[in-house]
Amino acid sequence: MTELQAGQSAQPLEVPRIDARPQRYRDLLIALVAFVLLALLPMLFGSKQLLDFVIRCAAYGLFATSLNLLVGYTGLISFGHGMFFGLGAYGFGLMMQKTGVPIPVAFVATLAMTLVVAVVIGAICVRLKEIYFAFVTLAFQMLIHSTILSWQSLTGGDQGLRGGIPRPPFLGIDLANHLHLYITSCALLVIGLFLMRQIAQSPFGYTLRMIRDNATRASFIGINVWRAKLVIFVLAALFAATGGMIMALFVSGAYPEFAYWTISGEGIFINMLGGVTTFLGPMVGTVLLLILNDTVTRLTEYHGIVLGVVILFFAIGLRKGLMDFVVEWFAQRRGEGRG
Amino acid sequence: MKRTRKPGISRRSTLALMGAGAVTFAAPWVARAQAKSIKIGMPTILSGRVAQLGTSSRNAVMLEVEKVNAAGGLAGRQIEMVIRDSKGQPQEAARIARELVNTDGCEMLLDGEASSGSFAVHEVARDLGVLCIHTCSEASSLTADPKQHIPNAFRCVRQGIHDSIVGAGYAAGIAKAKGLKKWATCSPDYAYGRDTTGEFVLYLKKFAPDVEIISESWPKLFQPDYTEVVTKILQAKPQALYSCLWGGDLTSYIDQANIYAMFTQMEVFAVNMADYTALTVVKNLPKGIHSGDRYIKTFPPTPENAAWGDAYKAKYNEYPTNWSWQNATAVMFLNEAVKKANSTDGKKVAEVLAGLTIKCPFGADGTVTMRADDHTLVGYAIGWGTTIPQEPYVPDVKAGDWKAIFELEAEWKKSKGYT
Repeated sequence: MTELQAGQSAQPLEVPRIDARPQRYRDLLIALVAFVLLALLPMLFGSKQLLDFVIRCAAYGLFATSLNLLVGYTGLISFGHGMFFGLGAYGFGLMMQKTGVPIPVAFVATLAMTLVVAVVIGAICVRLKEIYFAFVTLAFQMLIHSTILSWQSLTGGDQGLRGGIPRPPFLGIDLANHLHLYITSCALLVIGLFLMRQIAQSPFGYTLRMIRDNATRASFIGINVWRAKLVIFVLAALFAATGGMIMALFVSGAYPEFAYWTISGEGIFINMLGGVTTFLGPMVGTVLLLILNDTVTRLTEYHGIVLGVVILFFAIGLRKGLMDFVVEWFAQRRGEGRG
Repeated sequence: MKRTRKPGISRRSTLALMGAGAVTFAAPWVARAQAKSIKIGMPTILSGRVAQLGTSSRNAVMLEVEKVNAAGGLAGRQIEMVIRDSKGQPQEAARIARELVNTDGCEMLLDGEASSGSFAVHEVARDLGVLCIHTCSEASSLTADPKQHIPNAFRCVRQGIHDSIVGAGYAAGIAKAKGLKKWATCSPDYAYGRDTTGEFVLYLKKFAPDVEIISESWPKLFQPDYTEVVTKILQAKPQALYSCLWGGDLTSYIDQANIYAMFTQMEVFAVNMADYTALTVVKNLPKGIHSGDRYIKTFPPTPENAAWGDAYKAKYNEYPTNWSWQNATAVMFLNEAVKKANSTDGKKVAEVLAGLTIKCPFGADGTVTMRADDHTLVGYAIGWGTTIPQEPYVPDVKAGDWKAIFELEAEWKKSKGYT
């Protein structure tokens, strides 16, 4: 029997489709509860430092979680993801300073600009694997960083975008008001995390896991690996740019350091700290790193040593991120309980 | 053995009660004592490649704060400095500045940040309205650009444009005397390097129209190897070289250029040479490098300046830096402004600070002024001289003329569209 005949005689395989809606509703409910809790924080605690902390968590959290879509879900270890954080900050800041358009327009236009840049850079990078991919992304990041430094008439060079970012009110929201900025940052964080969760749990998300585990097998069953990698590269860039925009609003400026390799390094560190096998690992890593940074910087100027010891503890001691460790520990306990 | 417990209040309870009572009664006095002190926050760079400058800023501030506190404090309130490391990251500088004001209760800020960090702290000052004195950023646009102007921020720092005007005047004199027409430049490839070099060349050509730039080199900031830059300059065979490399970059450059005997083949003008951090680190400091004064205790040649430099050395076992005198001057300004305002209220102090002239060891004529229209420091000692390999390193510094600086600075501001 030829393959053609075999194909004709075979019955179409009935694959039971799992209804994803209940899980989506559960995620939506969790997102809503998280947003309400975050929105209530200023009423419960009057600390402005806490609000600053959450705003920074929103910026870095979106950035680190988007990096995990590449690192944890697709197996693409990007050393240059920080370029999109910087692009978001500069794109938004320049748009607000030079054009005076309403904030939502600048937000969407910055995402559109990031999309174009990410498609171009991604199309080149995702053809490569492993260390080659990592280093080409790093090279592009340094290119963008150098451009920011050199294009002084537009970007202000090493001094950054000066004079503050104008924040005209829109739809009753005044981002010059710290509370409004806080609530908006929380909303962007929750929406961003919810969307990334949906991407990770979608069939496309499972395709990415398959590419991570065995790209050759994925391509043999008909998946266009290059296209899938490019799509997730671009999507991750958009969320990283959103993080950059939050940071630009927080500091009312944009600086070359936002597009420097150290930002990408921090993203990798956050992922190591929180863990890459759970969706919320990078978010937990962000909170941990910022708490560590803020407290250690207050206590000693030898913070580098302390953070280095923490990295060693996670890399050599636990050999996994905190959330990975916690999830495994729970699974083990559950197994023991059943046994 | 049977344990017995006596009826009544135990010894522990009595001690606890006494402790609680003491805390209750002492609380108002403790609170009053705390309210009496005034917290001043200072984000600066205490780690990384410029940590030495940040540390020297902190040292200078503490030296002056101790004097002010010994004399009764600011309007009777003892100064409590809260100094934190920003690691040279603008987002950290902004976060720390906000934390210092919002959480630590700092009523004023001394901004010990350079470059982008100072602009980030400036935005925090704009947002929170807190009195802020920038003490390290030399970027002229921080105060020259009217878009940056806010009533509560001041800059107590030398400026690139002032250095360029004085340096070009000094260099033009030597160029004319020695017939130096072919010049090369070698400066770091970022805004400070390009701006300062551009301004120097502009004024050099204005004062000595025969001058021609035959070679330009722009090494990267923190570049470790300067071989290609040195050989490029040597091949161009200029008669003079201008550089605004600084810190470790400058010392590495000189050490590497020494191998090629560069300093015997041309006159070298390095604006940032005369700073102890560079002078004491270079292995074989060549004789005859022309440099602007950063900080040396022999310029201005006054007993007050020498005494200040010696006091710093005695306390910290090293010489002060350019950032040191600027930070010390900021504390002197605050002290005088609070005295005049008879208040530590930021707004009142800011009103007095604008246009305030104080006695200062680092003044060209023994005084320095916080210029009212752009809130920036003027009248500080500024000059150029040539190096020798041992102390006092730059024995004869030729002072710049502030009248000429003001005239040319006004023209420069106009050309930039600032006025």
